[in-house]
Amino acid sequence: MTTITNPRMPHGITPRPLLPHANAYAPMLATVHEIIEESPTIKSIRVVLNDDEAQRSFTFEPGQVGQLSVFGAGEATFVISSPPSEKRFLQFSVMLAGEVTAAIHRLSVGETVGVRAPLGNFFPYKDWFGKNVFFIAGGIGIAPIRTIMLHVLEHAENYGSLHLLFGARKPGDLAFKQDIPDWLTRSDLDCTLCVDRADESWSHKTGMVPSVLEELAPQPENTVAVLCGPPVMIKYTIETLEKLGFSPEHIITTLEKRMKCGIGICGRCNIGGLYVCVDGPVFSWKTLQGLPNEL
Amino acid sequence: MNCYRFLAKDALSAFLAFLAERERVLVPVEKNGARSSVVFEEWHEGLPFTMLKSTVPPKAAVLPQCEVLFTCRRVPDEGDQNRHVMVLDDTLTAQPTVIVATRPCDARGFAVLDRPYLNGLYQDPYYAARRKELTVLTLTCPTGCESCFCHWVGGGPSSPEGSDVLLTEIEGGYLCQSVTEKGRSLLERSALPDGEDRLASMQEARKKAYQSLGRAPDLKTAPQRISERFSDLDFWNRWTEACISCGACTYFCPTCYCFTITDEGDPAHAEGGRRLRSWDNCMSSLFTREASGHNPRRKKAERMRNRISHKYATYPENWGVFSCSGCGRCVSNCPTGIDIRAILLSALGKEEDMISHGTQSKETGQ
Amino acid sequence: MSGLTQGERRELRIVGFLCNWCSYGGADTAGVARASQPTDLRIIRVPCSGRVDPLFVVKALLNGADGVLVSGCHPRDCHYGTGNFYARRRLEVLRRFLPVLGIDPKRFSYTWVSASEGQRWQTVVTRFTEEIHELGPAPRFMDAGPLEREIEQPASSPLHSLDSASLESLAALKQAIASRLPELDLVLGWQEGRDKAHLVPLFIRTPEDLDRLAIGPLAVHNLAVYLPELKGRKVGIVVKGCDGRSVVELLQEKLISREDVEIFAVACHGTFDTGRIDQALGRYQHLESVRMDGKELRITCDGRERHFSLENDSSTKCLHCKTPLSPLSDHSFGSAPSVGEGDSTPPDLARLDAMTLDERRAFWRSQMERCIRCYACRNACPLCVCRDHCISDTREPHFTTQESTAKEKFFFQIIHSLHLAGRCTGCGECQRSCPVGIPILALREHLIRVTDELFPEYRAGMTVDAAAPLLTYSVEEPHIQEREW
Repeated sequence: MTTITNPRMPHGITPRPLLPHANAYAPMLATVHEIIEESPTIKSIRVVLNDDEAQRSFTFEPGQVGQLSVFGAGEATFVISSPPSEKRFLQFSVMLAGEVTAAIHRLSVGETVGVRAPLGNFFPYKDWFGKNVFFIAGGIGIAPIRTIMLHVLEHAENYGSLHLLFGARKPGDLAFKQDIPDWLTRSDLDCTLCVDRADESWSHKTGMVPSVLEELAPQPENTVAVLCGPPVMIKYTIETLEKLGFSPEHIITTLEKRMKCGIGICGRCNIGGLYVCVDGPVFSWKTLQGLPNEL
Repeated sequence: MNCYRFLAKDALSAFLAFLAERERVLVPVEKNGARSSVVFEEWHEGLPFTMLKSTVPPKAAVLPQCEVLFTCRRVPDEGDQNRHVMVLDDTLTAQPTVIVATRPCDARGFAVLDRPYLNGLYQDPYYAARRKELTVLTLTCPTGCESCFCHWVGGGPSSPEGSDVLLTEIEGGYLCQSVTEKGRSLLERSALPDGEDRLASMQEARKKAYQSLGRAPDLKTAPQRISERFSDLDFWNRWTEACISCGACTYFCPTCYCFTITDEGDPAHAEGGRRLRSWDNCMSSLFTREASGHNPRRKKAERMRNRISHKYATYPENWGVFSCSGCGRCVSNCPTGIDIRAILLSALGKEEDMISHGTQSKETGQ
Repeated sequence: MSGLTQGERRELRIVGFLCNWCSYGGADTAGVARASQPTDLRIIRVPCSGRVDPLFVVKALLNGADGVLVSGCHPRDCHYGTGNFYARRRLEVLRRFLPVLGIDPKRFSYTWVSASEGQRWQTVVTRFTEEIHELGPAPRFMDAGPLEREIEQPASSPLHSLDSASLESLAALKQAIASRLPELDLVLGWQEGRDKAHLVPLFIRTPEDLDRLAIGPLAVHNLAVYLPELKGRKVGIVVKGCDGRSVVELLQEKLISREDVEIFAVACHGTFDTGRIDQALGRYQHLESVRMDGKELRITCDGRERHFSLENDSSTKCLHCKTPLSPLSDHSFGSAPSVGEGDSTPPDLARLDAMTLDERRAFWRSQMERCIRCYACRNACPLCVCRDHCISDTREPHFTTQESTAKEKFFFQIIHSLHLAGRCTGCGECQRSCPVGIPILALREHLIRVTDELFPEYRAGMTVDAAAPLLTYSVEEPHIQEREW
């Protein structure tokens, strides 16, 4: 089996797709091509780079992030939630939270935005060849999970069985509604949905992600758990996974921090000596255990 | 080969004028206000300047307090007046600059900034351009001072790191020693007389400066000991009680380099929009507060812990040296008198050193 | 500019904040009646004159407005009942604040015009516009040149004697704290810092901590700044007179509770200006001794002795101090010096008073240039209680940018000052904390003078149950003379 050195473990540097522009602070211009309302607070923005050649040659790895700019409001970091095989556009799924996300939510089709991408490391998917993969997503945490899951599904022959556990607070909060019917019905994915608070329309599981996970009780043998969600969900889900017998190196998560530069200089997204923007956002639980507890 | 030239005190202005022919010359200038302070300003004929250590370090020469990364304008498309295009302008101009009479701790500060800005995964083009155009003429210190501790962290009163030329005060003026090629060619271009015959006085002055320093504690184990202290919140709480979470320690630090990026203006407006990079302060709660409200460093003790860890544990892990040059400005400028030396020694379990260095109550009379 | 004739004169930029219910209607009435009006005014409609934050006005004036006019409903006619009563106090304070900034107060006016008073509106807008044209375009803050003449700091004599008498109370104070310590979570005091000349805050929890307690004229920090973050804990605090006023102000604003705070008041006979001491000591390596003897402080470092006296080297705030002992206390120590009659103008403020408007702008511009926005001034202020929610940090509202211009930095000082109007006790921590020594206390001192003139019955930080002047109003304001049109 081929292994790629990834994520950047202390302290070697992994080669990765570099920014296609010389000034790492100057974004590439892009145009909003499509806006999808995923939930009352989440929108997916699909953008196309204005430079045709840049769009055609743009490559990234699943789990890498980009800085999306609305000029005049600022920029913020989001995972690229489309799979790398999608060459027509780049998708960012954005939850309404602060000034920049509000400006992103006000965008309309045809407007110009800025993109600095790809940034950060990515999911070590080649390490998972031959293994089962159990994806776990809570709320907007589905965004990075979507990109890696679609990528893995495209190459399903390389993997064992594939599972998704996707939870949200309530049914209306589940993002990617257009994708869900496909995820529920396709034969190469075993998909479970859950909400904290169900309503009469809800025919799936009710309960928080960690407790539903405990109920599903995936077998840890030859399985990698890949999770993303709010900090508190990550904390309890990892506890559950450990209880189920998952070893720390087989628990992979992707983190969020306040970021500005995205290129490892500005100094705020560190956990110990690692910077989430360049050494992350993807970390194994084993790596995180060796770092100061400051999530 | 080093080049030695002598700069007589009464030739200082002429020397500055010589430098100013080609470059922007920054000199320390004393400002009078509620208390006197020394800041770097652009020299011009007649500007009164001082050779005192500056209150504000010269890092703004390479990393301005605020700079425009690029401007953006939304303008009508040339081909189709009904359409608009966004035009970004990230042209950067770095003015050739020479800093005069900075101190060895500040020059070492440039070296600390160089690592992440020039040698990381991505190079910072703004910093790189300014740094390339910078010449550093450092005045070696004649003594230590009550708040500084350069020799604890790998420096010293005549440490050459980060400097192009070292100036040492000797009788009648300064002996200038080139450290880099850039410094050497500058001295050779100048009309300053040869100074080789005064080397002995220079060495004497430097030796005296070293001898004036107290004993330095051994900080070899600092990265490890501070990492071990990480989860000891009582420790951090105790040392942070007096902190008021202002930015005096970070903004006056020659090695602190964190920044924020914000947008101003409106690209559709005639004045256009601009993306700014400005100094930021890790002691402020806003530094890490996420839009969701989540904040990994909500408590001031957690922020102090990060600052100390960065300087003495994680920066050394990544780059092999401390990100502190011991200038002592965080000590002398802290409104509540927090002493980073005391925190450091306490983290290392070396309180006894603290006392012998006069950072606590005991008198130090020699 | 005033030389231009009416026909060819250049339009100036005048901003009008008009209340939705009266003055906007009045302007409309004037328009419908085709009453001729100058066209320089740009109208911003606001729900009520009470909505007009004085910062709107200053921001406009600092950013190129040549004049600003605020107009609301007549007093007693406010749509919301009392909005314009509050506005009147705030705007009058603002009007009197502008000169210290170097802004001509004639460039700002506020008045009342009802919806039916089309003619009055016409008079107001015409007259105000005329006045602004007489003044001409406003000078820009960033165009202010260097201050060209030396302005002497006038000599002033203190209102009470300054000496080190407070030191005598230390033993009694320690004893009192020792007896109360078991019931308190901690007590705030001072201790020696990096050397004996530099005291720092002390957080006393144990008898050993208490042994380190120090007081006296080098105990400069106002420890009240720590009280809000300790809310909910039983805290003792050692206070000088000015510090005690901050505690009272925090109690008045209900930011701390009386039952949680125990006040150990020490009669203060003056504090040193530590900046001046540092400057005189210069660079030194070892401090050998600090001796306080009556009015004299002797500091020996590197073998050299230097003398300081409270008469020459006290903090300027001490010169006009009228409260050497905290107005509120649970325990008090030492005898307070008797305070002389009358008022004295703080020296930095007196110097500003001696300047022209142009010189004041030049002064502030040159002083603000070296500010590096560390916000020590804000964070050391015991009454800057917004902490992590300061509007100088928010982007919504977006009052300041990160730009490092003197104007942006000065605007922050204006924000801080105006937010302290009627609350500031003049403790001087903002200025003491400034590492580059910008004399920003003068702005606050001027505001204290303004609020003293307008509300002579009130002094900030004296009475817990008093109402701060800008948080209340009178239907008739005896000290506000509104202008006639």
